[in-house]
Amino acid sequence: MNIIHNIIIDGMSFALPLFIMAIGGIYSERSGITNLALEGLQGMGAFVGGLTAYCLTLYFGADSRIPYAAAMLCAMLGGAAYAALHGLLCIRFRANQVISGVVINILGMALTSFLTKTINRNVFGEASDKFILGVSACYTIPGLSKIPVLGAFFTNVYPFEPLILVIALIAWYFLYRTSFGLRLRACGDNPHAVDAAGGSVAATRFIAVMVSGALSGLAGICFAYSISGKFSSDIYVGYGYLAIAAYIFGNWNLLPSLAACLIFGFARSGGYQLVQQLGMPSSYSDLVMTLPYILTLFLLIFLSKNNQAPRALGEIYDKAKR
Amino acid sequence: MAEEYIVEMRHITKRFPGIVANDDVTIQVKKGEIYALLGENGAGKSTLMSMLFGMYEPDEGEILIRGKKESISSPSYATSLSIGMVHQHFKLVSNYTITENIILGIEPKRKALGLFPCVDIRAANARVAELSRRYGLEVDPTAVIRDINVSTKQRIEILKMLYREAEILIFDEPTAVLTPQEIDSLLDILRRLRDGGKTIILITHKLDEIRRVADRCAILRRGRLIDVRDVASTDTKEMANLMVGREVSLSLGKAPAQPGEVVLDVNQLCVRNSDGVEIVRNVSFQIRSGEIFAIAGVSGNGQTEIADAIAGLARISGGSVRICGTDIAQLSVRGRKEIGLSYIPEDRQSVGLILDFRLEDDLALREYYRRPFSRSGVLNREQIASYGEALIQKYDIRCAAGGSTWVRSMSGGNQQKAIVGREIEQDAPLTIFVQPTRGLDIGAIENIHRQILEQRDRGKAVLLISLELDEVMELADTIGVIYRGELGRIAPASELTASDVGEFMMGVHREAVS
Amino acid sequence: MNDRKNVIRIALIAILISLLAGAVVILALGKNPLSAYYNLLQGCGLAPKAKYAGSKSQLADFSSFVDFWTPMIFAALSCAVAMKAGLFNIGISGQMLVAGFISSVTIGYSSLSAPVAKPLVILLSAAAGTAVGSLIGYLKYRFNINEVVSSIMLNYIASYVISFFINTFFVDPVSRQSRNIGDNARLTFHQINLGGIKYDLPIGFLLAVAAVIIIRFLLERTVLGYELRAVGLNRTASRYAGIRVGSSIVKSMAISGLLAGIAGATYYLGYFASIQPKTLVSVGYDSIAVCLLGNSDPAGILASSFLIDIITKGSTYMSSQAGLESEIAAVITGLILLASACSSYFLGLFIRGKEHRKSTVPTPARKKSAHKE
Repeated sequence: MNIIHNIIIDGMSFALPLFIMAIGGIYSERSGITNLALEGLQGMGAFVGGLTAYCLTLYFGADSRIPYAAAMLCAMLGGAAYAALHGLLCIRFRANQVISGVVINILGMALTSFLTKTINRNVFGEASDKFILGVSACYTIPGLSKIPVLGAFFTNVYPFEPLILVIALIAWYFLYRTSFGLRLRACGDNPHAVDAAGGSVAATRFIAVMVSGALSGLAGICFAYSISGKFSSDIYVGYGYLAIAAYIFGNWNLLPSLAACLIFGFARSGGYQLVQQLGMPSSYSDLVMTLPYILTLFLLIFLSKNNQAPRALGEIYDKAKR
Repeated sequence: MAEEYIVEMRHITKRFPGIVANDDVTIQVKKGEIYALLGENGAGKSTLMSMLFGMYEPDEGEILIRGKKESISSPSYATSLSIGMVHQHFKLVSNYTITENIILGIEPKRKALGLFPCVDIRAANARVAELSRRYGLEVDPTAVIRDINVSTKQRIEILKMLYREAEILIFDEPTAVLTPQEIDSLLDILRRLRDGGKTIILITHKLDEIRRVADRCAILRRGRLIDVRDVASTDTKEMANLMVGREVSLSLGKAPAQPGEVVLDVNQLCVRNSDGVEIVRNVSFQIRSGEIFAIAGVSGNGQTEIADAIAGLARISGGSVRICGTDIAQLSVRGRKEIGLSYIPEDRQSVGLILDFRLEDDLALREYYRRPFSRSGVLNREQIASYGEALIQKYDIRCAAGGSTWVRSMSGGNQQKAIVGREIEQDAPLTIFVQPTRGLDIGAIENIHRQILEQRDRGKAVLLISLELDEVMELADTIGVIYRGELGRIAPASELTASDVGEFMMGVHREAVS
Repeated sequence: MNDRKNVIRIALIAILISLLAGAVVILALGKNPLSAYYNLLQGCGLAPKAKYAGSKSQLADFSSFVDFWTPMIFAALSCAVAMKAGLFNIGISGQMLVAGFISSVTIGYSSLSAPVAKPLVILLSAAAGTAVGSLIGYLKYRFNINEVVSSIMLNYIASYVISFFINTFFVDPVSRQSRNIGDNARLTFHQINLGGIKYDLPIGFLLAVAAVIIIRFLLERTVLGYELRAVGLNRTASRYAGIRVGSSIVKSMAISGLLAGIAGATYYLGYFASIQPKTLVSVGYDSIAVCLLGNSDPAGILASSFLIDIITKGSTYMSSQAGLESEIAAVITGLILLASACSSYFLGLFIRGKEHRKSTVPTPARKKSAHKE
């Protein structure tokens, strides 16, 4: 009973940030821009958010809720700003989108490690390669948490979990119900149609990439606040790529992608529980850590063939070409 | 004075690197007329209209709409001046419904829960249905683009303009993809639109269409305006001469065919597409040496798939294909080539050539792997270069730097010459030509047609697949008409008229045959 | 031809811009960028240091730099072979790790004599790399799995699984890394004493130079190279030409993996002698920068790897001398990568600019491609 409880609690706190990052990826790719940069974007978001929280905590004290909220906001802004670079490369400079994505990841990793060390040394006067944030406090919803089994979904919930669900709902609304979403999805299928209809392909795609940055940034700071309790280069362990696998699995649609994220989350937390329950030495957790990745590969083997990527994905849009 | 004209383009000049697309062109269009722009490929018609629609801006000259000088900087500004355009290549989102495509850019809104602005798809559907009734353009607003045919797609493009309340409608080669019967109905629609008060500018190089609907006609040649004529008082021959700039010879001087052995024997061929849908069904035909067999049909009825299946680019899901008596179903692309198949594919830029190769490498594309071009896995560069040079001479391929020219930098006509030369040089008993003259100008077309006839006269079997009915009628010895993946009628060309073939292309006689 | 000149010009511009950007950062931190960059050269034995400890010399520094440089050449060639076929091998780090691990635990801990062990290390690493590379190629060909995603997944799987094995069976309790391999299997003659100075002499470097020549020949002069380039540029046309695209994809990933495997051998059983668990080396990622900067051309790679490795290798010395974080090297490498990702755009600008100047004389052959009606 307790095991299932823990699996659900840990699984959700891992799956939801993954999901919001996958939504970001869907925005970008449905607009026609391949986005392998999610990994770097979430790292940059976590860095900016982590730095913000670290500074504000010094000012407001450890008990204040302000640093936490500000970290979320700044993580999104930081992710969006960094994503603008990907947009610039792909849209303005017509770079190969796959290469650009990888470049963004590599540069992000280098830049955040460098800045973390430099800021720690030059501003805070200490030799450290991380910003300690502490693990975010959790809340249990009275009443609902008493429901057998399902109550776990309302137990020990991180504050970012409901936030993510709300943002996901808003993201769904914009993508499928508004004229902006209509144009965005059209850009990924036939950008010429959008151009002929008087919309701006470049602007729409740019916004989509920025959104993916903001959502990835949010995911990054959530990971920093839940899994590691700090910002350091530990944040780069492939969450971004898991998110990509999730939306490929979800065929570039929101709900099936959520399902994929939940599978990853529960596979991971289930594995940990297994190691703990069987009393295996901690090095075995390394093996458990491979579960989501192996699962991803298997899912992709079964799904990649039939899934239909957006038609104009990865193509450099050329107005003059017909 | 200016009030008389709804559109005036004065002294327009537009240059692109290396070419003057429009040179001091002036046209004046009256409200409520059908105004045709006639000219060969490359005459500058589309460029001129692209400037009217705001896709380019002229280097010199001015544009007046309803007597007022305008600088049309974007398609959306053109739309706001109630100018609409149906492009040659439709601009439709394949996974959207017809309504979604039409409203894209000017979506009607409603407030969900009185708060959140949403696209009001239901109101849009109703409006589209109403418009399609009013102008006699039957469509189902909720059908998805992926599943509909070309002529319906064209109607959607027209509805798009009407939905935006366009008054000046530009049609860029609207009949290129239609059957004769569909053309009739389109021309009816054009007349109806004109009678409803719209002004129509029709870009075309087909004289009979101009005869049938246009009131006035401007003739362009090599970027210059040659003349503007009243259609009623000018005869067709004269227009043709003005368009081409010399006397047009309409006959190729084709000798009668002398068919020999059966080279290609296609029996009950079936092909499925990637969704598992059978798009070629039980197709059977034979081609003899010294014979040109043409498959006529509207685009998307399975004709390119037949060619791909024979060449090995698509899987044969049923039936058999024999070349010179050998069943080729199990052979690889290369195996089929070696047995005697040359293939000029429909899409020269993405199938027939590797654009980022040098010309000599592309000319060796089908032969590089064997002697003398390579030996035990190592290329013989000198041989490839000299072979390339020989083909460049023989087929008159114009290129800036000989064999080391980047193919991407060459003109479409010369790219096609390279493919045709490469394939003919293989001296295979069977040559497949798919849309060999698409997008080429008249000189290049004549050249390719002559090559096709020469192939035949050298005793080769030729399979010609073309959407251009004229081309089929002109070259074929035998014609098969394809409709929805089935060959409806196979007959000697001498027994068929263009309108017979057109009717089969529409599937009119389908029941009668089966 | 002229293209070649342009490519080189753009690579130089990319480097220049990145170094300038780096200089601005260094200035902002209150340090002298010129002396910092000079420190980089000193750290690689390309410029004399003020003084040397007993067993050190500039030449010894340089030998150590060449030792460091060797894996990078292999890794970047690995990236280039995949890139030519239109594939992106981002799994080089993982392939290096697998190859290095397998060779270490088998031959590295064996007592085979050096003349047997050293060639075996190379062969076994090559084989391991080939296996992983082909797997990625096969997944792409058979199941249409994006090679970037599958490579990354395999990277993490390899890293965790190998970390488990090292921590469980092969760990050195002091260093927390895998136990050092024997000198018999090591591809670098480590700290060889010549006239009182200790040198690191890499066998692998000779192999690397040979590999540059072989890969260049392979790509430019062989049927396989022709096919790989064709597949990389246009898969549909390649199928039409009778090339078996799937098998070309697998072949290119196999060769790419093979080179990555040897890179792993020269890294884990050459420059180093042990493996740090749960760490994917940055060489695998930096090699992408090297490859892009070298325009995926083996000769270009030799030059660009030299440059990038000066920055990477010299950064330790610069860090100690100038008081800068050594991560600045990775940032500059990242910036170079960024600039070279835009290179085709700038190349286009160059060519267009030239054409513009020529446009007064219209060339008839150009007409249609420049503009279709």
